[in-house]
Amino acid sequence: MTLRIPCPNCGERPHTEFAFGGEARLHEAPDDEADFARVFLPDNDPGSARERWFHALGCRTWFELTRDATTNRIG
Amino acid sequence: MRPGSLRFEGREIPIQDGDTVASAMFRAGVRTFSRSLKSRRRRGLYCGTGECPNCMVTVDGVPGVRSCVTDAAAGMRVERGRGWPSAEHDLLHVTDLMHPLMPVGFYMKTFVRPRFAWPLAERVIRRATGSGRLPEGRDPSRFTARHVHVDAAVVGAGGAGLAAALEAARAGDRVLLCDAFPIGSRMPPGPALDGIRALEAEVQAERAIEIVDRHAALGVYDGPTLALASDDELVQVHAGRVVLATGATETHEAFPGNDLPGVWLGRAASQMAGLHGVHPGRRVVVVASTEEGLDHLRTLVGAGVDVVAAVVPSAFLDDVPPTAEAIADGELISASGGGRGRVRSVTLRERGEQRRIPCDALVLSTGLAPRDELARMASPDEPVELVGDAALGDGVAPGVSGGYVCLCEDVSAHDLEQAWSEGFRSAEILKRYTTATMGPCRGAMCGRALAAFAARRSEGRDRAAAPRTAARPPVRPVALEALAASVHEVIEKRTSLHDTHLAAGARLGWSSGWKRPFAYGDWREEYAAVRERAGLMDVGTLGKILIAGRDAATLVDRVFPGRVADLAPGRSRYVLALYEAGYVADDGILGALGDGTFFLTSTSGGAERMDARLREWTFRLGLHVHLLDRTSELGAIVVAGPDARDLLGSLSDDAIDAAALPHGGLREITVAGVPCTALRTGFVGELAFELHHPRSGGPRLWAELIRAGERVDARPFGMDALELLRLEKGHPYIGQDTLPDDTPAKLGLDRAVDMGKSWFVGRAALERLARGPVGRRLVGLSFEGGPADAAELRGMPVGAGGEIVGRVTSAGRSPALVRSIGLAWVRTRDGELPAALTAGDATASVVPTPFYDPEGARLRG
Amino acid sequence: MAELSTSAPTVTAVLASPDACERVSALPGACPISPGEVTIVGDASITALRQAVQRIDPDAVVRDVSDGWAMHTISGERARDAFARLSELELPASGSVQGAVARIGVRVLVEGDRVDLLVPSMLAAHLRERIQDECRELLS
Repeated sequence: MTLRIPCPNCGERPHTEFAFGGEARLHEAPDDEADFARVFLPDNDPGSARERWFHALGCRTWFELTRDATTNRIG
Repeated sequence: MRPGSLRFEGREIPIQDGDTVASAMFRAGVRTFSRSLKSRRRRGLYCGTGECPNCMVTVDGVPGVRSCVTDAAAGMRVERGRGWPSAEHDLLHVTDLMHPLMPVGFYMKTFVRPRFAWPLAERVIRRATGSGRLPEGRDPSRFTARHVHVDAAVVGAGGAGLAAALEAARAGDRVLLCDAFPIGSRMPPGPALDGIRALEAEVQAERAIEIVDRHAALGVYDGPTLALASDDELVQVHAGRVVLATGATETHEAFPGNDLPGVWLGRAASQMAGLHGVHPGRRVVVVASTEEGLDHLRTLVGAGVDVVAAVVPSAFLDDVPPTAEAIADGELISASGGGRGRVRSVTLRERGEQRRIPCDALVLSTGLAPRDELARMASPDEPVELVGDAALGDGVAPGVSGGYVCLCEDVSAHDLEQAWSEGFRSAEILKRYTTATMGPCRGAMCGRALAAFAARRSEGRDRAAAPRTAARPPVRPVALEALAASVHEVIEKRTSLHDTHLAAGARLGWSSGWKRPFAYGDWREEYAAVRERAGLMDVGTLGKILIAGRDAATLVDRVFPGRVADLAPGRSRYVLALYEAGYVADDGILGALGDGTFFLTSTSGGAERMDARLREWTFRLGLHVHLLDRTSELGAIVVAGPDARDLLGSLSDDAIDAAALPHGGLREITVAGVPCTALRTGFVGELAFELHHPRSGGPRLWAELIRAGERVDARPFGMDALELLRLEKGHPYIGQDTLPDDTPAKLGLDRAVDMGKSWFVGRAALERLARGPVGRRLVGLSFEGGPADAAELRGMPVGAGGEIVGRVTSAGRSPALVRSIGLAWVRTRDGELPAALTAGDATASVVPTPFYDPEGARLRG
Repeated sequence: MAELSTSAPTVTAVLASPDACERVSALPGACPISPGEVTIVGDASITALRQAVQRIDPDAVVRDVSDGWAMHTISGERARDAFARLSELELPASGSVQGAVARIGVRVLVEGDRVDLLVPSMLAAHLRERIQDECRELLS
């Protein structure tokens, strides 16, 4: 009820229709240490971050958006 | 005419037309409506708007009913709450005298030791402070829930709300107008009510306005979405904008004696006199600082109430009816009580002099406190606006000179002083320590008084201590039944053979969101059929995904850690799905079809996750892939056992010998006229064919297989037999035998990984982990001793040398091997498994898996 | 009041490039799901359709997926009220939308006072029960 996610195909929907894919990160890193940080140490800064979301109960497509986790403002 | 009476604590009380439960009780002479939470002080009618806790009674077994806003109906059973033996004569009133022994927050410092006494203490305290017993035998499902979509939602159907709704409708909006009560229901007859009725008629004539009365607004959420609850419905209103015409309460002042029965807010007193025809007292003092207060004064006088004094600002002197003594600019000091705790006199300061006026009722209209909680909980950029009295802003802060600040939680001004002196110095922290504003009124009455107290104390020092405490939903108490309306957590999936299994007498149970047969009779016989002859199982629950498109081979190569790029058409391979951390997420079988597409099966619980994962990597890697989830579209039946080929052969003209359809192969065949994709699989350790077919063909295919199977005494088998069949082969169930951070190495599934591939999901993590020893392994165990039914060992910790080193994840007595076996994860030290393991009373030795037919001879061919 | 009925419609899945999908979306019974996917409800002359789509996108997948879906239809003057008990989705006067209905991903086709719910067949029985439960007094 409290967080609405704008799906690029279906429009704004309650977050319960989605699965959260975490911070958008690259799929590889240059070395071991960077890869460990990539997988296990997301920045997790308060404020805006680029995220991946999956519209599980709708069009079942993945997309990215920017969300401020402290205000839930998107975009 | 509404004749009849209600039953009140053993007596009949007559009801008049338009009565509320409170007015009927009051007319019958009831003055103590409840007892306060801690001190058990008598409380009488006060706010008249259903916001304070004083009038709460139990009606027809339901506690917490605000009698001042509840219509009286013939036959209602009404009882007061707290009070032992009764609210009228409450022996526990002595706690009021013990106030010095029970300072604010005392319960956080006492009732801790001795610990054994807590259960008894809790029961006593609960009885003493409870507001009533929950009713038994109520049907919780009578609440429905619905969603409404409008352009404008207007909360509050008073003058401002009705006008706002009309304006919106005439501008072309779809409007929903709600109110906690029927329109105009709490107003005494007069010009104000006439005005409301006129507006109401206009609103009813507008088709674009949906009127929803008797629904209280609970909260405003992002959207904006407004939640409303009535006594049988929860409504979520999705609005383009929200207009709050919630009005204002009359200011609740805290002064010595402010909680005595006989102290009224203006609205309550004027309703009692003007609407219900009962005088709030015989000698009434009115303090009116607002226009509304003057209206109430006129209503009281017009109803024949003896107003002995009216304390008003000097500007209002001319408006005071001649029958009352007008006192200009008097300051209210205190009210004092007499017998039965009722008001006996009021003390004022007039022109510097203190003056005591004997009276039995004090009516207060000293200000307006806008009901702005809903606005305060909305995000600042949401289209939510306040109109009418609700938009008035804070006005003059209430006085806090003594008496009770929080009526619900029984928090006095003295309690706040004490808390402040203990160092709790902001409204938010005072709230948490004293529980002020945490009662049923949700701060509607006392929120401003609490903030005023903190502001005055921190004057000149910490201005941040001043604001009111955060507004959060629900703004009104709401039954859990309302919030649970239409929430149905359990989602059940079924195969097309569901009814077939029921008709065959199967015992169905839950497995990963599906209803599945666990056994059709004695599961051991079903197990034996598979090992010795043939068995049939409905595996339509398996996830099935078609992977197509020009990058299909690329996708499977990158998503799965094993060698799959060279998978020839007609061949399949066991695959793992890994997380980027290298952990095992799922497993399945990947088959290559003739046309460059792939057919992937996955565990019954993992289909949607697998589909989501494939879509994610298609997206992240920018590949051209088409994914079609065929889980619903296809049913699947396994035919397994030494006689499986014979059985199938009797129903199919297609070649299914070892050359045409070898172990690990897949092929399109027709069985009993139903087109199938047949996979040779090895999950149960016998010759087996997994027949994927159109869902609609399932019942026919199953019936034919059963019929043809009679020749060899084939049996249908379910989850119970499957559990043992697969355990004898040492196959782990992802989720049952695996831990969230299990890697292929820990599960002994390195064969599903090809580190020679330059990249796949999780490769970097596996490479990093491979540099150290494997910290834990899933191993096969053979048990000696222990329970006769080895299945009891499941979940047992595994011990070695007095320490716990693991846990048994699966266990059972194997008829084929005549011993007890199981799977367990066991911690290693320097990569080595400990010796001399135990599990419960049994000793356990690590043995290689598969336990049964380790060479797999029975699978192949 | 409203009526509930269940049927097994013909359903075709088209997975293709955005260009191809846009053309397909103009066909009768077409529900656009995403730029790369369209679901067509009703007869679709699948062979001809496949040829036409693959002319634009040779890589496209066009398949009859009728077995994967069931249709529950709520019709009558209270049909939209019944739907409002099951889902937060706002229905257009006519058209299609996909989203959560009774917490299941459903494709909704709506025309006037007729609401068609296209549901994966493995969930058809469950959804029917939910509809009957939630809309009890609205259904005749």
